[in-house]
Amino acid sequence: MKSLGKYISKYLVSFAGLVLLLLFINGIAFGWTFYGVVTKDHGDLSPQNMLEEAAASASLEGISKETSERLKNNHIWAIYLDMEGNRVWETGAPDEIPEHFTVQDVAVFAKGYLADYPVFIRNTDDGMLILGYPQDSYMKLPSNYYSLRSIKTFPFFVIGILAVDFVILFLVYYYSKRKILKNAEPIITSIVTLGTGKPASISMRGELSGIADSVNKASDIIIRQNQARANWISGVSHDIRTPLSMIMGYAERIAHEKSADSHVRQEAEIIRQQSVKIRELVQDLNLVSRLEYEMQPIHKSPVSLAGLLRSYTAELLNTGLSDEYSINIEIAPMAETVLFNCDARLISRAVGNLVQNSISHNPDGCDIILALDCTNKSIFLSITDNGIGLSTEKLKELNEKPHYMESTDDRLDLRHGLGLILVHQIVDAHNGTMQIESEEGKGCKVILDFPIGKGS
Amino acid sequence: MNHSFLRNKKLLLVDDEPELLKMVTSILSDDGFRNIVTAVSVKEGISAVQNEKPDLAILDVMLPDGDGFSLMQQIRTFSDVPVIFLTAKDEAVDRLSGLGLGADDYIIKPFLPQELLYRIYAVLRRCYKEDTPLINLDGCTIDFSRAEVHKADKIIPLTAMEHIFLETLARNEGRIVTVDTLCEALWGDNPFGYENSLNAHVRRIREKIETDPSKPVSLITVKGLGYKLNTRK
Repeated sequence: MKSLGKYISKYLVSFAGLVLLLLFINGIAFGWTFYGVVTKDHGDLSPQNMLEEAAASASLEGISKETSERLKNNHIWAIYLDMEGNRVWETGAPDEIPEHFTVQDVAVFAKGYLADYPVFIRNTDDGMLILGYPQDSYMKLPSNYYSLRSIKTFPFFVIGILAVDFVILFLVYYYSKRKILKNAEPIITSIVTLGTGKPASISMRGELSGIADSVNKASDIIIRQNQARANWISGVSHDIRTPLSMIMGYAERIAHEKSADSHVRQEAEIIRQQSVKIRELVQDLNLVSRLEYEMQPIHKSPVSLAGLLRSYTAELLNTGLSDEYSINIEIAPMAETVLFNCDARLISRAVGNLVQNSISHNPDGCDIILALDCTNKSIFLSITDNGIGLSTEKLKELNEKPHYMESTDDRLDLRHGLGLILVHQIVDAHNGTMQIESEEGKGCKVILDFPIGKGS
Repeated sequence: MNHSFLRNKKLLLVDDEPELLKMVTSILSDDGFRNIVTAVSVKEGISAVQNEKPDLAILDVMLPDGDGFSLMQQIRTFSDVPVIFLTAKDEAVDRLSGLGLGADDYIIKPFLPQELLYRIYAVLRRCYKEDTPLINLDGCTIDFSRAEVHKADKIIPLTAMEHIFLETLARNEGRIVTVDTLCEALWGDNPFGYENSLNAHVRRIREKIETDPSKPVSLITVKGLGYKLNTRK
């Protein structure tokens, strides 16, 4: 599972890379947003600098014109107090700033605000310089100061960045998940197919191609094994044919040999009948295994099922049907003209198997009716007999129990015959359904329902 | 139809299994065939066709020095002898390739002797016409070469359609022939819509061949399936 590890690593690494990239972008965004504010707080217009600059040019006599202009341009006012607390001069001070300050006054505004103006103080040799900044421009804390704007922006900034990060991470997660699922889906589908014992093939590039290769290899093994099994069955059934021809041939000759003892002839007839049963079994076995492993080509062509039923029935009567049995055919007028796209040999085989079932399950004889009916969408072929029928349990078993080719159960008595499974497969190959209706003592009815029309 | 003339035909059997050759030979000779030649390989088969000039070749598909399909192709380069494949290969592909080569029938082993004989006769009858094809029915005789029914000193002519109808049934004497096969022979079509025409033909034929047309004994209706012709041996 080296390739799966690689695949997952690749996704984890790219995810980690993305997180790092986001952190970096967050840092940049943070720096970029706060740079302006920070430079403003600490640049040459900052209270620190302004105080320094103003103090340098201020004395009891006044302040230099240049500095005064600069203060005014930045909406900063200034006052100068002498040692007694009297205002010696001012520049741009609002009216509410008093002329005289007591020690208490000084102590109060020294904390930060004078008439709600954030103020900054500098002691000089002969007095005190006070710079007043516009209201709401600074928030003063006992220990430090930040601009109100930066304080207000900060929470929004954090929430905004987190939200953007979250959305980006979610999108990346969603995209990755979809991509992984998209890549893994054919693999999972084919593994599920392999699980049913059927071959599956996928073609894939990229990191998962290793897994795809393994799935294809497993599929090849299944195909080879299925083929080997089907070839084995077909080989055995092929090899049985010639010796069985001899048994059937000589048995029939003895059965018809007029000079032979009647007892011997009867026994030869039994051998003949049983060898015909072996022939049916061998043919069914071979066809079932070929259909099961999808090695039987289906040769579909438009066929009149009415004609097919007539020809099957005529052939059955021509080869001889015992007097205990009767077979009749009922074709609805509408079904007479319908052409069904099917493999005529296979359908004929399915009908034959069902009729033979009725015959072999009713050794005392029965009346068999082959019926054909249709609607615009379906064609219904039914085989009905008035024989001994099936008990409810037997019917349930027939519908539920697996056939021995599909069963791993050792109990042979839980499995039913090859003939019916072949009918099932043939019906499946024509997208049809099969339904068995029966009641004990009231005969048995098998309905095959095939879709007709476009695409069938 | 009397097939005694067919029993004079020379048959060639090619199969690598001597036991099977022996059995098929005895089945055929028991039924009256007198000219039977056998071969066990492609090589022997070709020289047998060249030297013996059989009227029908029955070939196995799997032979020690090649397959029956190529044997047939080689035979076709110098002979038009009818061919039946008799093989253990039952796959649809093999059957289609055999019939695709123009074989007259493809019989899958194992087979019952009666089936084999029936199918050999069917091919022979299709390929070789009797010099004087007459069949005897209860109360009359049909002469196919002249398209006439001879009934109680009367000679009744048959129409072309009636001739085809009776010939199709006569080829399968005693066996049910479906309406599908009959319509195919008469009109080259499926039976739908031809019911009335078919019934009309049957009625007229019965008037010509039956002693009592309302109680037919020769041309029998098999309900829902078709018709069959009972002959008198």
